[in-house]
Amino acid sequence: MITAEQKPVDEIRKMIAPYKSILVLGCGSCVAECAAGGEKETGALASALRMGAKMEGKPALIQEKTLDRQCVRDFVIQLDEIIHQYEAVLSLGCGAGVQAVADAFPDIPLLPALNTEFLGETKDQGYWLENCLGCGDCMLHIFGGICPLARCSKQLLNGPCGGSREGVCEVNADVPCAWQLIIDRLSATDALGRLEEIYPPKDWSRKQGRGPRRIIREDQQG
Amino acid sequence: MKETSQLKRILEKGEFAVTAECGPPKGSDPDAVIRKAALLKGKVDAVNVTDNQTAIVRLSSLAGCILLKNEGLDPVLQMVVRDRNRIALQSDVLGASALGIRNVLCLSGDHHSFGNQPQAAGVFDLDSIQFIQVVKTMRDKGMILGGEPLSKAPNLFIGAVENPFADPFPFRVVRLSKKVAAGADFIQTQCIFNLDRFEKWMTLVREKGLTEKTFILGGVTPLKSVGMARYMKTRVAGMDIPDEIIKRLERIPKDQQRGEGIRICVETILRLKEIQGVSGVHIMAIEWEEAVGEIVERAGLLPRSTAN
Amino acid sequence: MGKEHFTLALFYCQGTPQSSEHDRQSLEERYGKAIRLFPIPCSGRLEPLHLLRALEEFADAVYLITCPDGTCRYFDGNRRARKRIERTRFIIASIGLEEERVGILVRSKDDRRVLVDLVQEIMDRVEGVAPSPVLNQAVKSAHAHSRK
Repeated sequence: MITAEQKPVDEIRKMIAPYKSILVLGCGSCVAECAAGGEKETGALASALRMGAKMEGKPALIQEKTLDRQCVRDFVIQLDEIIHQYEAVLSLGCGAGVQAVADAFPDIPLLPALNTEFLGETKDQGYWLENCLGCGDCMLHIFGGICPLARCSKQLLNGPCGGSREGVCEVNADVPCAWQLIIDRLSATDALGRLEEIYPPKDWSRKQGRGPRRIIREDQQG
Repeated sequence: MKETSQLKRILEKGEFAVTAECGPPKGSDPDAVIRKAALLKGKVDAVNVTDNQTAIVRLSSLAGCILLKNEGLDPVLQMVVRDRNRIALQSDVLGASALGIRNVLCLSGDHHSFGNQPQAAGVFDLDSIQFIQVVKTMRDKGMILGGEPLSKAPNLFIGAVENPFADPFPFRVVRLSKKVAAGADFIQTQCIFNLDRFEKWMTLVREKGLTEKTFILGGVTPLKSVGMARYMKTRVAGMDIPDEIIKRLERIPKDQQRGEGIRICVETILRLKEIQGVSGVHIMAIEWEEAVGEIVERAGLLPRSTAN
Repeated sequence: MGKEHFTLALFYCQGTPQSSEHDRQSLEERYGKAIRLFPIPCSGRLEPLHLLRALEEFADAVYLITCPDGTCRYFDGNRRARKRIERTRFIIASIGLEEERVGILVRSKDDRRVLVDLVQEIMDRVEGVAPSPVLNQAVKSAHAHSRK
């Protein structure tokens, strides 16, 4: 999933200040999973913003709605019926969602209420971990299901570096050394010998070689 | 320009080599490097110039190496993979060789979050092992990554670092063997205070046949004070400073701790000389280059051979 | 009795002693406009959203009563509730509304008090809280009229 966190409320209030009617648009997908932009969070933010506006003596029309997903144009265009009554949209979608809405309604200012962060898993309630950087050339089968690019602070394919200490990354004590994890995982399945090989330089062109990426599937098209 | 690296010459002759380190200034001041060169000349076989160590912006290691070379020293160009992609790294390798630099040390580099530019984008296009392999291919096959031929191959003695004290301990030897297989001609280790642990590591290294394929220089650092020792023990990753060393320094009055630090360093070198498979010592006297001369002399390592 | 026109919204779970529908009705009769009571199955069901909506629409203050630690019939509902109260306080602070408008009363294991007594304690706690700047007179009168 894509994770995100809400921007500080004063930053959001500054963003919406010029507008008298705002649609606060939530998303029921990834950002709901990470409790940043789902229906509950969208309702809470809208309520707080309305109260803030009243307290400033600058009441604004602030209404909320949550889509199942903001990143699918077919869902987004359904907003057509209601969106034009608002001067701006404050989106609690991830960056992909905000842009999809902006693209569908280019005349309406789109304001992001969230800071989109990473591709990751929900490790536990209230705990999300980055684990994929979308390199376009997955090698997880080699490294025991642990990505050395996303989870090693230096993206080493032939790690660990000299800063690995007691299974912890030198950069941040909260970060386990990915290479320690890989070594432990492969040792447990008797596959440690795999790491004696020198893994060649990553082909980064699969991530950035041709600019922003696209996927086209004709068999999926109408 | 054909001359061979002095470091290579000494090691291949079987002499116990001595290298030291020079940290460039945080400014465009060539004299800072020239002053350090003067302190080290005649005391060591080669001098490493660090590459934005700890991710702090300093005069570039390549520029530092040229300044040292102009003073008659044999520089070791340290290159980290943190700041430059494969294009820039290979380009700098070609440039260094063209300017007469004959030794290169390939490292990962400290993470940029540690330095004074934490908002920088870390590059890490290659890792240190891949980089060693690239340099070796450039030198021995005259081609860059991908196979395109070079008009002239660089002439470089290739080094890498290893930390016998980092975790995971059993894997460090595997990592060393990968560096050697990738093409590391010489290895400089992280500074050694725990000689027992180092000897254990050397046993594993010898068993793997690595001392036949590469020259290992044990790293040492003179401690300036008990405070420095404690700091390094607790705050620097990959450092193993036994309590006995701390206690030794604690027993000494503050103004004599430097002297004791040098004494400990000399003792370490004398022990390193006895370890089979250790071909030299790398002295990292952080901002204390003046101490190098004294250490080298007291360890019985003077005079150094001069180039023929 | 609460202050004139000051309204407390009080949420409490079914574990609260003597908190039946009958108890609730007699409390509302007693306090009138000063209190609105919301029974919920477990305090853990409460979200910041509910508290914020109450503050937005009619409440000068909102409070929650939870069961003692270790006695929640849904195991950790009361612990979650505490965290959500904190989160709500954080949110209202960020718009400049006083944190003291949102509070929690965590019953202790030896506390034998029933809903009526707990309500009294909370009303005492919010005695010093000023009327909410969010609510204006027009809104408040409308709410007073809409109640039974």
